[in-house]
Amino acid sequence: MTSAPDVDPQPIPRSLVAAVKDLRVHFQAKAGLVHAVDGVSFEIRDGETLGLVGETGCGKSVTARSFIRLIPSPPGVYAGGEIDFWSTEARRAGQRPIDLLQIPQSEMLRIRGDRIAMIFQDPGKALNPALTIGRQVAEVFLQHRSGEILTALDPNPPALLRRAARQRSSTFERLLLKVPPWRGKMAKLTRRLDDLVAKALTETQIPNPRKIMDSYPHELSGGMKQRVLIAQALACNPDLLIADEPTTALDVTIQARILELISELQARLETSVLYISHDLSLVKEICDRVAVMYAGRIVETGTTEEIFSNPLHPYTRGLMAAVPSAAHKRGELAAIEGNVPELVEPPPSCRFSSRCPFAVEICRTTDPRAIPISEEHSVACFAYETGDPTELPVLEHWVS
Amino acid sequence: MTDVIDTPLTATPVDGPVAVRVRRFLELSRQVLRNKTTLAGLIVIIAMISMAFLAPLLTTPNVPDPYQMPRDWAALNQPPGTPGHILGTTSDGGDVLYGVIWGSRVSLRLSVIVVSVTVTVGVIVGSLAGFLGGKIDEILMRIVDVFLSIPELIFALAIAAVLGPSFGNIILALSMVFWVKYARIIRGQIIHVKQNEYVDAARVTGDSRFRIFAKDVLPNSITPVMVQATLDMGSIVLVGATLSFIGLAEAGLAEWGVLVSKGQVGISTGRWWASTFPGLMIFLWALAFNLVGDGLRDVLDPKTESR
Amino acid sequence: MQIRDYLIRRLMILPILLIGVSLIVFTLSRVGGSPVGIYLSHEMTPDEVAEIEERFGLDQPLPMQYLAWAGGVLRGDLGWSGVSVAPVTQVFPDKLAATMELSVAAAIVAVTLGIGLGTFAGARRDRLPDHLTRIFSVSGASMPVFWFGILLLIVFWVYLGWFPTGRSDATVYASIAHPTGLYTVDSLMAGNLAAFWDAIWHLVLPAITLGFGTTAIITRMMRSSLVEELGEDYVEAARAKGLPERLVMKRHARRNALIPTITVIGLSFGFLLQGTVVVEIIFQWPGLGRWLADAVLRGDQATIMAYVLFTSVLFLTVNLVVDIVYAYLDRRVVLGA
Repeated sequence: MTSAPDVDPQPIPRSLVAAVKDLRVHFQAKAGLVHAVDGVSFEIRDGETLGLVGETGCGKSVTARSFIRLIPSPPGVYAGGEIDFWSTEARRAGQRPIDLLQIPQSEMLRIRGDRIAMIFQDPGKALNPALTIGRQVAEVFLQHRSGEILTALDPNPPALLRRAARQRSSTFERLLLKVPPWRGKMAKLTRRLDDLVAKALTETQIPNPRKIMDSYPHELSGGMKQRVLIAQALACNPDLLIADEPTTALDVTIQARILELISELQARLETSVLYISHDLSLVKEICDRVAVMYAGRIVETGTTEEIFSNPLHPYTRGLMAAVPSAAHKRGELAAIEGNVPELVEPPPSCRFSSRCPFAVEICRTTDPRAIPISEEHSVACFAYETGDPTELPVLEHWVS
Repeated sequence: MTDVIDTPLTATPVDGPVAVRVRRFLELSRQVLRNKTTLAGLIVIIAMISMAFLAPLLTTPNVPDPYQMPRDWAALNQPPGTPGHILGTTSDGGDVLYGVIWGSRVSLRLSVIVVSVTVTVGVIVGSLAGFLGGKIDEILMRIVDVFLSIPELIFALAIAAVLGPSFGNIILALSMVFWVKYARIIRGQIIHVKQNEYVDAARVTGDSRFRIFAKDVLPNSITPVMVQATLDMGSIVLVGATLSFIGLAEAGLAEWGVLVSKGQVGISTGRWWASTFPGLMIFLWALAFNLVGDGLRDVLDPKTESR
Repeated sequence: MQIRDYLIRRLMILPILLIGVSLIVFTLSRVGGSPVGIYLSHEMTPDEVAEIEERFGLDQPLPMQYLAWAGGVLRGDLGWSGVSVAPVTQVFPDKLAATMELSVAAAIVAVTLGIGLGTFAGARRDRLPDHLTRIFSVSGASMPVFWFGILLLIVFWVYLGWFPTGRSDATVYASIAHPTGLYTVDSLMAGNLAAFWDAIWHLVLPAITLGFGTTAIITRMMRSSLVEELGEDYVEAARAKGLPERLVMKRHARRNALIPTITVIGLSFGFLLQGTVVVEIIFQWPGLGRWLADAVLRGDQATIMAYVLFTSVLFLTVNLVVDIVYAYLDRRVVLGA
């Protein structure tokens, strides 16, 4: 959890799924190089749900997308750091992790959708409007499980069929497949695929999966679409699920059910989840640990309980104060003054210093580092540099 | 993804002091000129218009009619580079450069007249239809639809053929065909604006219908009309040249289309210049106006991707 | 339901438009000369002339003249073509076949090249291939078709001698039967490869000339559509599933980008149609366009009016068909999602 050099480095990481180490992602813009993600480090452990929280534009989506290298290459650039990943297999065999930022594209394609899956914010837009649901979900199976499916049907499949299963047929081959005897064999393959798709859809409690499979995205409700996407994401039993604000575009009533669904599936399939959100109340409900992000950096990490009951970083405190809840006296809705700073080639400094009521000189001139406060809890703020964890400064709650 | 996006200045209600409008105009001009291809197009346009205006100075005008190609029986079919005829001569001994320069004058006349007429007629018809609505709108729009059912070139061709071969008739024919687009644009804008709240607000304050039209509707409708007019300056010359190429203009006219047609005959014997240079001018003219029109569209109406 | 209503509305307007067009054609022909001019030919006897004058003649009030003319049209009597020295309707089919063959060839060139180039450019947005393609598109839209054709002739016919003019070599043409009037099809039906090759070889230059402008338009549309689709979330989601880029492009982005491009393809039909006039002049192609050009030069009203009528009807029909196809394809738009 710590990147501070004066603490003993853990010799063997506790069963980790992923470890982000000093990730830097920059974007080439007209005004200059934007440091969207500027030295982010955190871990995701086996079986846990880690929440990545922050306001819009803080870099959490960019961080999430970096796991599977979805950032388009002009204008984006992976400027530094690594994302270590252990698949379940690798963990069991005691192997070293792979660096997701360095592996060749062919390997990344094998990981996407299979070992690491992602669900997006707006389910309506994440589905291709011109293809049926069944077709789209089947793609995942075709891409990652075609070999097994085919050999289960026919221990010695002909090359033509093999290529079809791996979605590699040329136009001529596709025409050929419409002719018997291949037509029959393709039909068997398709039926098996349909079964798999239907099974995946039922996992997310979608009623009448066969009918849904033949429908087009616009025929489904928002909640149903998100279920389809979750089903699709979990189809190959991934080790890590990245959920980028999966409920933001949904009705409040549906939100709760989708969250429940994710938790339940996660527990059953033993998947780890990286949950991105700007909504603290949601995060509190389903996350085991939380990392708070601001302007491209992690400012605080800890268990959910610790973060919510004892927020340390001034920004985190501000966030907590801003959440309306029964605990506040009426009329005490705090807002953090100021705006997120320009991230174009920023100088070394704490990114929050311009808005922080406790900022001192060093905050404006030096990059803060993560300071461990307890086993799980660490904060990147100069106010905690005393070195003695029992002597925490008392930062007043501010109420505007 | 945080990249800096220029906020385009789309058509918003134009009200307020003249100073504000002038400033906006300058801003828009600056944005338009920032695009290099648009700038290039503008330079070419200025060059061609200058050439048109300076024609009597750049060449010795033919007598009695400068718009007729001069004939020099002593210098038939000279290739480019012959002294006195940089671009060569035609099968009548006419100087190709003369044709190129005076052709720009003819094209300028053609495009300016036709665009002025068509914009005026189109705006009037479109305004009547949009503002008066109801039956009048229906009838006028049916007429527009009928006009749009006949391909433009063929329509203009039929009209010019029926009236008789002359460049004046070509101008007339094109004017009768190309106004329709503007009627549609204006009517569309009016209907769009009619549904807008601030017109109702103006109504409430008692502004007469005409004042609403002049103050609110017209300024906002100008931008798509401007874009279309710029593009038309190019395409009118293209269609006009096509019509004269087919033979609907007077023989011997110093016009690009006529020259290309004339020069066609000599091609099989390798005399390429009489057709190539005038044709190149048509291309450059249309290209320049297309580039500027697109540049205008990108700035003034960024929602519609240039197609 | 909405598709049906929309289409019914379009179909109901169609007759009005056709009548409108016929009125315009009639007016034009009257401006151009006497109402009977188009029916007269040199061969007619004074009695025949008198009979025609009575049927269509000046002594009738104008609306009656219109109806007489319209009746004639619907019966297939479009007058006498001075240029071809034959009734219009007799000459029409052969020339139509020639022009159709040329137009289809040009369309094939334009569509394949246009979609291919547009996809190529759209996938490489803002990089060199994209810029070059953009230059190509703008040039294509500004290019005078007749000038381009002449340039191609100069280079490929006069200097290089690779391609011929005209539609066919006379001896080869005469060596096969012509059931459809389409040289390519007929030669394949006759199993005569030499004739087929002759047909293709003559088609190359004119088809490229005719198709050039349309290629440019289609390229532009395809490119901008593709760029738009590539920016959509579902493309990113498809990549996140582990699909290789070529599948993302082919099955997802390109398929959706094709939908708006199809409308452009349909609309550019008008462009093609107008281009045939000059292309046929330049390449000596024996089709409707050159027939029209000759008619214009010799004041042959019948041919001109028949041509206008025909092209307008075709134009209207194609536009309607394009709208139907588009409405069917774009489920998003139509079913109001």
